Amino acid sequence: MFLAIVIAVAVVSSIGAGLAAVLVVSEHFFANYGPCSITINNEREFTANGGKDLLSTLTTEKIFIPSACGGRGTCGLCKLKVLEGAGPLLPTEEPYLEQDERESNVRLACQVKVRNDLRIEIPQELLAVREYTCKCTDITNLTHDMKQFRLELVEPKSIDYIPGQYVQLLTPAYEKSSEEVYRAYSISSDPADKGVIELIIRLVPGGICTTYCFEYLKVGDEVKVNGPYGDFRLSDTYAPVVFIAGGSGMAPIKCMLHHMKNTGNTRKTVYYFGANEPWELCLVDLMRKFEKELPDFRFVPVVCELKDSAVQACEVGLVTEAVSRDLENAEECEAYLCGSPGMIDAAIAVLKELGTADDRIFYDKFE
Amino acid sequence: MKESPDMQRLKALLRSSALVAGGFMGSDPRSFIEVIDADLAELRRLGYTNDQLAQRMQQITKLAIPGLGSRARIDDSKEARVQEAKGSLVCPWPHQRYYAKRITTVRDVGSAERIRWSDLNTHLTGQHGFFGGKGSMFRVEPREVVRTIFHV
Repeated sequence: MFLAIVIAVAVVSSIGAGLAAVLVVSEHFFANYGPCSITINNEREFTANGGKDLLSTLTTEKIFIPSACGGRGTCGLCKLKVLEGAGPLLPTEEPYLEQDERESNVRLACQVKVRNDLRIEIPQELLAVREYTCKCTDITNLTHDMKQFRLELVEPKSIDYIPGQYVQLLTPAYEKSSEEVYRAYSISSDPADKGVIELIIRLVPGGICTTYCFEYLKVGDEVKVNGPYGDFRLSDTYAPVVFIAGGSGMAPIKCMLHHMKNTGNTRKTVYYFGANEPWELCLVDLMRKFEKELPDFRFVPVVCELKDSAVQACEVGLVTEAVSRDLENAEECEAYLCGSPGMIDAAIAVLKELGTADDRIFYDKFE
Repeated sequence: MKESPDMQRLKALLRSSALVAGGFMGSDPRSFIEVIDADLAELRRLGYTNDQLAQRMQQITKLAIPGLGSRARIDDSKEARVQEAKGSLVCPWPHQRYYAKRITTVRDVGSAERIRWSDLNTHLTGQHGFFGGKGSMFRVEPREVVRTIFHV
């Protein structure tokens, strides 16, 4: 009886092992699509081994398409046109594509498998994106859950970007994450300092990249970023500027203020920065310095609770309430907003109520 | 019992750190089915269902959203704060569900006890009865949640 059981188990195990071996061998032959040619903008062509998704295939070729979710099909950022060879649209892409995008062959690069030759279109500005190897030279605590990371460029040694743009930071595999992922962060540094990228990062509990940055990244470590990306930027008009931000939304606004100072910009500017309590405000001294250095700049920190009025001069309430109370000539202003979707939606509603036209409101939403 | 490919994939995904740092199971040696069974049994002992819990969690999140990241009063004994980050969290179960990276922190004003959950936690609680493995950063303890969100 016992022998019969042992034999039965051995037979079943052998069949299982045999099937697994067949699967591995089949995958090698059938999922190997061989060399595939990828033509970009009818100008450039390269050959890649098929089988991977288009996003990572392009990354291997040092062509970086923005993606905030690390290629999981959850951010909808890695859109590009695939004119030939992509196959039918996948259900995982549908929620991210408008009808006109579907009609013009826009696809999510992370969802398109390279199985045959492809003809694709990539915006020229993305072809200018580079990968930068950096060294982390300083980590500053800004608040209990926000840090500023100073990354000095090693190779290439300098970067050109437009204030308001962002880079993608590569998080390597580490103890709490088995895969490399990229996350997008706005550049906060002075754009005149082309050898440095500073990032302001807020800790997301359980976040793969922010956990790495807060608990594992040390001064002296090598860091890789690629970029720059994004079209959040200051216009070149003379309209008064209103900045509205909260938390790490400080980053692109700080960068723009450096740029305004560097270029002698004289636009009338007011910056409303919201926090819960005074100790959650950051870079206030730098903002006060900008008030002295820029010809017409006013910084308005806003906190929800102010238990000790002697702490610092702050507006009290929600940042949108402060804008509503304080902002003059809203109809003439251009507004630049950076923060959570909720904050941005509320700020847009307030600005419209005050008379700011839709086409004068620009924002960088945390989505 | 034979496991479907979806079930095998789910088991692996919950243990891996592909979706969240450290994974959904933490250091819990039990299977996720055992975790769910134990947590739902605990909830029954406390007199609640996972549906009721998820509905109340969602209600508190909704009440706190207009606070734009600041603390909003929920009732006499609680205040809550909702913080958002870039990107989204994906449900590990085999359906295409993803949730904004929105974290709700509830504070009991009297005891200063805090608990927090993400929108994904609310979905996992309500739809799958899954609270996370012990030691996971995403674990919400049924007893603590009940104590904090239901008791005025």
